[in-house]
Amino acid sequence: MGLSAGWLEAPVECGSAAGFGLYLHVPFCHHRCGYCDFATAAVGDDDPAEVEVLLDRYLAALRADLVRQVGAGSWPALTSVFIGGGTPTLLGGVRLAALLAAVGEHLEVADDVEVTVEANPETVGPELLAALADAGVTRLSMGAQSLAGHVLTTLERGHGPDRPAQAVAEARAAGIAEVSLDLIYGTPGERDADWLATLAGVAALPVDHLSAYALTVHANTPFGREVAAGRMPAPDDDVQRERFEAARTVLGAAGFEAYEVANFARATRRVGPEGVAAPARSRHNLLYWRHGDYLGVGVGAHGHHAGRRWWSTRSTSAYLAAVEAGDRPVTGEEHLDDSERALERLLLGLRVREGLHPGDLPPIDPLALEDAVTAGLVEIACGRLRCTDDGWFLLDEAVDRLTA
Amino acid sequence: MTYPTERIRNFCIVAHIDHGKSTLADRMLQLTELVDPRKMRSQYLDKMDIERERGITIKAQAARLPYRPLGEVGEEYLLNLIDTPGHVDFSYEVSRALNACEGAVLLVDAAQGMEAQTIANLYLAVDADLEIIPVLNKIDLPAARPDEVAREIASIIGGRPEDVLRISAKTGEGVREVLDLIVDRVPPPKGSSDAPARALIFDSVYDSYRGTLVYFRVVDGELRPGDRIHLLATGFEGEIDLLGVHAPEETPIDALGVGEVGVLSAAIKDVAQAKVGDTITLAGRGAQTVPPLPGYREPLPMVFSGLYPVDSDDFPQLRDALDKLRLNDASFSFEPETSGALGFGFRCGFLGLLHLEIVIERLDREFAIPLVTTAPSVRYRVILEGPVDLETGEPRVMTVANPQDLPPVGQIAEIAEPTVTAMVLTPSDYVGRVMQLCEGRRGTMLAMDYLTEERVELRYQLPLAAIITDFFDQLKSMTRGYASLDYEVGDYVAADLVRVDVLLNNEPVDAFSAIVHREEAYAFGRSMVERLRELIPRQLFDIPVQAAIGAKIIARETIKARRKDVLAKCYGGDITRKRKLLEKQKEGKRRMKSVGSVEIPQEAFVSALRTTGPRPES
Repeated sequence: MGLSAGWLEAPVECGSAAGFGLYLHVPFCHHRCGYCDFATAAVGDDDPAEVEVLLDRYLAALRADLVRQVGAGSWPALTSVFIGGGTPTLLGGVRLAALLAAVGEHLEVADDVEVTVEANPETVGPELLAALADAGVTRLSMGAQSLAGHVLTTLERGHGPDRPAQAVAEARAAGIAEVSLDLIYGTPGERDADWLATLAGVAALPVDHLSAYALTVHANTPFGREVAAGRMPAPDDDVQRERFEAARTVLGAAGFEAYEVANFARATRRVGPEGVAAPARSRHNLLYWRHGDYLGVGVGAHGHHAGRRWWSTRSTSAYLAAVEAGDRPVTGEEHLDDSERALERLLLGLRVREGLHPGDLPPIDPLALEDAVTAGLVEIACGRLRCTDDGWFLLDEAVDRLTA
Repeated sequence: MTYPTERIRNFCIVAHIDHGKSTLADRMLQLTELVDPRKMRSQYLDKMDIERERGITIKAQAARLPYRPLGEVGEEYLLNLIDTPGHVDFSYEVSRALNACEGAVLLVDAAQGMEAQTIANLYLAVDADLEIIPVLNKIDLPAARPDEVAREIASIIGGRPEDVLRISAKTGEGVREVLDLIVDRVPPPKGSSDAPARALIFDSVYDSYRGTLVYFRVVDGELRPGDRIHLLATGFEGEIDLLGVHAPEETPIDALGVGEVGVLSAAIKDVAQAKVGDTITLAGRGAQTVPPLPGYREPLPMVFSGLYPVDSDDFPQLRDALDKLRLNDASFSFEPETSGALGFGFRCGFLGLLHLEIVIERLDREFAIPLVTTAPSVRYRVILEGPVDLETGEPRVMTVANPQDLPPVGQIAEIAEPTVTAMVLTPSDYVGRVMQLCEGRRGTMLAMDYLTEERVELRYQLPLAAIITDFFDQLKSMTRGYASLDYEVGDYVAADLVRVDVLLNNEPVDAFSAIVHREEAYAFGRSMVERLRELIPRQLFDIPVQAAIGAKIIARETIKARRKDVLAKCYGGDITRKRKLLEKQKEGKRRMKSVGSVEIPQEAFVSALRTTGPRPES
């Protein structure tokens, strides 16, 4: 298995077969949370008039960056668009609609394109949500993180425990087709009961999709410094494993499919007039896991095309300066060799529950495969290579052994 | 230019690490205008990278300084600066270098005061009858306390505190006065130019282009290029193809006479043929009857450690690397050994811990072979039960440098271990803690002297094994860095010793075995398994970690199976960071040693023993 040369040139589900996406980054937040190491900056305390000017400039820059990147190649029809941040909804409905209109102007868009906008529950309201739906947004992904008040406080979130449910209801009322919530588990101070209550709470909401991430403390964040100074306990691997298992159990029982290490799709979602719908997996997320191609536009955004990766500066001022001067804001790029692409294919593909199609598998040393299978980390089912239930949360070890 | 003996002064500088010896040497070179300022670099005499980085001198070197004292007219004097190593591991080399001199500058940091190593080397200098010139350095530092340190020096060497010169090697202040005092006080060399040639080897260095370079000081007679030389201890004979001096760059010379210091090469294959302390004489009929210069001895390894390649395929490369290292370090020894856990490797003997660290660092730097180093051990003497030796009628005795070679308990009549006489200099505030530390390491107090009201000299007899792990670190940390240590090797003393073994996943890992005192075995075993639980990363299954004496388990811990190993979300399509993290982890795993089914990080083999032993309260 895995010895066909077609894994790069003629993939079945991966690479160019996975679709084509666009990521747009909005690097602004009201407040920067203590655990956050994304490319974003807090503008909550700035002069509102100046912020408006900054947002206009940024929108113009995104448009110019998009036009430049699109012009540099020829692209298939977009299957997914993801506007992430930061807090993209800080741009407001008018700017977001203008941005999406620009996308449609410069790129071909598939009929069933998935258009996701990220938001914080406290930054949306009926008016904005209606504007998003009108602009073609099909999916809203909100950072709920937890339904326990003290956990939200630790995470420095701007909303209370009741707000996510209201925001979900408002999104539904506004006609947004799919609603997803992000959750974080393993926050210092979070108890088993907090997490179980959060899981039960979100599962009972009319959401189609949930993402549940183990809290990762990065050294260059306030949390990282608190942990290094011994003032905050480091996240405990065993606790995070237990929370992961709890999520699989509780959400599974509530009708969610655990389709990726951190993502759950409602398998029994409402059936529309067209008939039975598939589970509400995030297409844009799957694009990443299936090694697909995407453009990355905006501060700190990454793009990928056929083994070439590139990324823009993480500094908003540097980004604006470069784009406004007509220069590329790109500060890094790499061309992956076959072994790096093989490593990525496994690293990404095995995050998905059904793993990799045999036609998409890079060559694997038979002894390495036997070792990973014997260690109980991966299994072969219907020719596909996938993680075992136990190996899923030990994926890095699995990949390490497969590429030994 | 040749110099009559009455205008020659041979001297060295006795100083502690960081007290400014190399800076003073640099200043002296500048004052005598021998070094082109454009070529001047700091620590001019220290040629090895490790020396410059660590700021220490490992190999002795020499420089020839023509000098005319201020206000004098007439001929120049020739000052030979013989640079000596400063560490206890190399005290034999120090003693030979001192024997090549008539005077020693005792250089002491005016802020730090005297240190044990300095005192030990000072005693060696006094034993060698050298004229001592006491100098206080770094008087420009705000923390300098020159009056107090001068009193300290005077109380140790005798004389008056006001006779101690005060200089700053950094600014150059007082350096000329040091040179003037050397001319004035250090006696000229004594020796007979008519006697058969005799020269003392105080260092030999392997040079990959020229073979071994021998540093020597002529005692009697004369050496010339083309002379056929004979070395009394090793029996080597060869023709001098290069005779030179360091001025300070190497310069050929046509003769070196009584008292002069120089370097020669004579197609000497490796440094083991030209050992420090050996006597050079001229080959020919009388060579065997020339009396050797006193003080020669064979280097004696004191500390032993197993060196194993992480990847067993590297074994031949490791052997080559050790062969090459031995070309220029005759004082370290190695022989092949096998370990059930680590495979094929070498048991290496070193003069001391610093020597061990230097060799390991050089292996890493010059040969880049990933290595596992086992915890250092000493050489035990084991008297066996059972039949006596048929020839001597005495009980049979074996030496054990590797704990895994210790015979079963039933075959052992007695185990004796090497001891040292340790000298600790400490501020008086910390005397109690230092005594507690020494007694916790099975030390016996021999003496306690107040050098001044603030400084105390403690002498202890201690097992060598008790000071080769973390004694020095502990001593430093409990005295805020103020105490210093020196030791000399003492006798073998019988002790109640047992071997503690470590089992990982129920399999003994011989590389973790250690010989310890029976009373300390439980504490040792406990701390060992606790350390290993910390040092060995969690793996896919539970790993019991046990310490045992024979079949008896004395401590147990479990390394719980790893349950999470997946990188968090990848944001905005940033796969690069995730892949790089994984590649880095992979690199880390490559540096682990698989023992049975358990992956053990390289550093665990040494670190497991690092912070053992009772930790006195601070």
